[in-house]
Amino acid sequence: MYYTDVGLITANADEIEINPRELALRLGTDREYDNETLELCRKRLMGVLSYKCTFIKTAVSFYQEPTLGFSNVILNSKSLWKNLYPCKEAFIIASTAGIGVDRLLSRLKIESLAEYYMTDALASAAIESFMDNACNRISENVSCVPRFSPGYGDLTLKIQPSVLERLNAYTVLGITLDSSLLMTPAKSITAIMGIKDNEKNN
Amino acid sequence: MKKITDLIKERRVYFDGGTGTVLQSMGLPAGQAPELWNITEPDRIISLHNMYFDAGANIVKTNTFGVNRAKFENYRELIEAGISCARKAAEGRKDAYVAFDMGPTGQLLEPLGPLKFEEAVSIFADNIKAAAGKGADLVLIETMNDSYETKAAVLAAKENCDLPVFVTNVYDSTGKLMTGADPEAMIAMLEGLRVDAIGMNCSLGPDIMLPIVSRFKKYSSLPVIVNPNAGLPEVKDGKTVFNIDAEAFSDYMVRIAEEGGMILGGCCGTNPEYISKVVSKTASMPYEMPEKKNYTCVSSYTHAVFIDKQPVLIGERINPTGKSKLKAALRNDDLNYILNEGIRQTDAGVHILDVNVGLPEIDEAAMLVKCVCALQGVTDLPLQLDSTNFDAMEKAMRVYNGKPLVNSVNGTGESMSHVFPLVQKYGGGIIALTIDEAGIPETSEGRAAIAQRIIDRAAEYGIEKKDIIVDPLALTVSSNPESAVITLEAVKKIRELGVKTSLGISNISFGLPQREIITSTFYANALQSGLNCAIMNPFSQAMMQVYYAFRALYMLDSGCTDYIAFASAEGAAAPVSSAPAETTLHSSIVKGLKDIAVIHTSELLKNTAPLEIINDHIIPALNEIGSAFEQKKAYLPQLLMSADAASAAFEEVKKHIPLEQSDSSKAIVLATVKGDIHDIGKNIVKVLMESYGFTVYDLGRDVPPERIVECAVEHSCKLVGLSALMTTTVPSMAETIKLLNETDPSIKVMVGGAVLNQEYADMIGADFYGADAMDSVRYAEGFYKN
Repeated sequence: MYYTDVGLITANADEIEINPRELALRLGTDREYDNETLELCRKRLMGVLSYKCTFIKTAVSFYQEPTLGFSNVILNSKSLWKNLYPCKEAFIIASTAGIGVDRLLSRLKIESLAEYYMTDALASAAIESFMDNACNRISENVSCVPRFSPGYGDLTLKIQPSVLERLNAYTVLGITLDSSLLMTPAKSITAIMGIKDNEKNN
Repeated sequence: MKKITDLIKERRVYFDGGTGTVLQSMGLPAGQAPELWNITEPDRIISLHNMYFDAGANIVKTNTFGVNRAKFENYRELIEAGISCARKAAEGRKDAYVAFDMGPTGQLLEPLGPLKFEEAVSIFADNIKAAAGKGADLVLIETMNDSYETKAAVLAAKENCDLPVFVTNVYDSTGKLMTGADPEAMIAMLEGLRVDAIGMNCSLGPDIMLPIVSRFKKYSSLPVIVNPNAGLPEVKDGKTVFNIDAEAFSDYMVRIAEEGGMILGGCCGTNPEYISKVVSKTASMPYEMPEKKNYTCVSSYTHAVFIDKQPVLIGERINPTGKSKLKAALRNDDLNYILNEGIRQTDAGVHILDVNVGLPEIDEAAMLVKCVCALQGVTDLPLQLDSTNFDAMEKAMRVYNGKPLVNSVNGTGESMSHVFPLVQKYGGGIIALTIDEAGIPETSEGRAAIAQRIIDRAAEYGIEKKDIIVDPLALTVSSNPESAVITLEAVKKIRELGVKTSLGISNISFGLPQREIITSTFYANALQSGLNCAIMNPFSQAMMQVYYAFRALYMLDSGCTDYIAFASAEGAAAPVSSAPAETTLHSSIVKGLKDIAVIHTSELLKNTAPLEIINDHIIPALNEIGSAFEQKKAYLPQLLMSADAASAAFEEVKKHIPLEQSDSSKAIVLATVKGDIHDIGKNIVKVLMESYGFTVYDLGRDVPPERIVECAVEHSCKLVGLSALMTTTVPSMAETIKLLNETDPSIKVMVGGAVLNQEYADMIGADFYGADAMDSVRYAEGFYKN
């Protein structure tokens, strides 16, 4: 099913600065860590990144705690309840850095583990940075709580098929799920971001 | 009623528009599969089709886009009901056709995703079997954003029904499918598979599709279908709307028709109003079938390689003949070695990779399939499938993602009767050797005559001249002094037949000293005689020099830019003969300087025993950086760079240790457990283990417990390392440990991964918990010492 109410955001690789804090976290280094190999990996990665994001705005319903619902999903999650309550609306968002990253990583896995590890860290930091950027653009006129992804706390990955389907994620982003509900392209994120009562407008 | 394939030769025909768009306006709730309405609300589905026929569409798509056995248990019933609805709407109408609609499975195929190619074929085949004979006039395979899945669907359709097959793919704004294929690659593959019409749908609006349509016009010999979305979704006042209305959409479709779009329609966001306007504005426009194109090309899953004026280099290194390392790799199932050869040749600048894995003692068909799939995971070059085993050839052609180069057919009846039907079915360029039952003719005329016979016989299978590349065979001049002259004359004569040519260049110098001199001079002469493709060694500097110089001299390298880049790089990359004086093998490994470590190793090998280098230089250096890492004085990336340098040094040392003497007393089975695809931690452990001299049986990721046990038993390996990154896969790890303990209690299991800690490890019965990679190596070393 293709939904016609789904928004789309894209960005070129050079429009998104890879967050140095995220990168250091994933590399397991301090923020100053840098060398020729890391820079080579960064440059190569920039050539394959293809950022895309789809999103919808949806109502959120709170039933008996921890049961809540949004869009086409009803679920139990204490962590998500805590994150969202009492937002009446939320954005559901999916984003990806594209399949080119997966291909690059498959190749580096054979060639050089150091470069594979660095590129993997760079790509993870890159998709987080793009997601932050996309969330900012989506929530331009509203105030939101921090985004929350399936897999955080007790929020089950089982909602992934419904969430991705609702966001045209296969057709527009090329995201697919395997039997363990993990996404390909590997550097993809889904999230829900609660909207506080339009504080920015008030 | 005419067949749809006949009607499109006479006049422009029209597809319908969006299905979901209209059904949602009829009240289909979000989250509900529209296909269910085929059974519960057939009248509404019939009315949807009627609206489109009334708007002027000639072909309606059945409401079966998302139906397959993986998603719906009652897929047969849904398909039958879907076709029945469309059929009812078409009844009594003139030029009204029903397309059985097949969308993607929603799963990504291997090597990037989990779905096996044959499983995908089987899913689509079940759909086609359910649809066959139920009243559809054609099969439409649509909204495919992966070339491989497209091929699976086409094969399923071709193998299970006689209906015409139309295919449309989803191109993004860069003009590529999500998984990378450009229009030329898709045209090459789909024409090879002999579908009836091709094109594009969904994703983009008609404005962005215009340049893609132009590329189809230039390269496609088949009618081109264009079914765009109503533009891109935009958010306006909190609502998402498509940005192109019916009026603007139909204006764009006029331009698309001018550019070569033949069969027109719409996709998401379009409705009968859009189609009606498109029909009224384009129906009287000039219309003609595309002209037959006459270029030669093969393709990968990303791009096509054209064989024309530019010389084409085909890397010959994946061929076991005379290569003991590759033979050993094939016997040991060591795909990494083969993949590395593929990557190195890709980096060296070849355009196509030859893949030959024929060894008498291995299952060639299975190995060729495995190598083709794995190579397509690490290089985007087209492959030349090289085998004399017809079964291996068919299996490899089937799983190949693109239009392969088939090496080879020859002038014998047996060869042609086996190879041509394969090319007829799967598509491909063919290398045709000028040899027949009587052997290789001694004259150029004799070789050209065989070439002509091959061309004529191929035509009987509908295989055109453009897909035949004749190899008149270069035989060594050391045994036949006329050989080079005859071959070069044959190249010229065969070019006159209107086909392209290829030669295995290196053969010419067999048995002679300083072979490169003869080989590269022969190559220069062959190019001058009109040779198109050379099967060659891209690591031969002399050969690459000829290639770049020839292109510069024959106006094939505008401004000599490629030559200048090559020559400058060659000057800059002059091999460093000695390492900086202040460095040693030890220090270069500690600092992670791979190239310098290799130079030091080569130096040391002149007067030091290989094992001494490992024990006195490589291992102590690794220990030093390992300790620094454990004491938090070095970061993981530094440790990995050192491991890379140590591995490179180790590879250099291995060249001096006969293969059968490798130390296999220290071995470990490594795997990321079932359900988990995160394997970076496991790979880090693997590289460190290897640099410490362990034999590693790496089973990869998402490995079932039974496979791990089977491997440990098969190799009598008493040490197993398991990795998991997600909490959800820890039970799978526990299950694996339980099965290992039940099978052989003497097997020790070490575990690691982000979600584990000592407490977890104890709970699931692991013998050791490795907090990091060095920790694991120390345990493994200790295990074998005791």
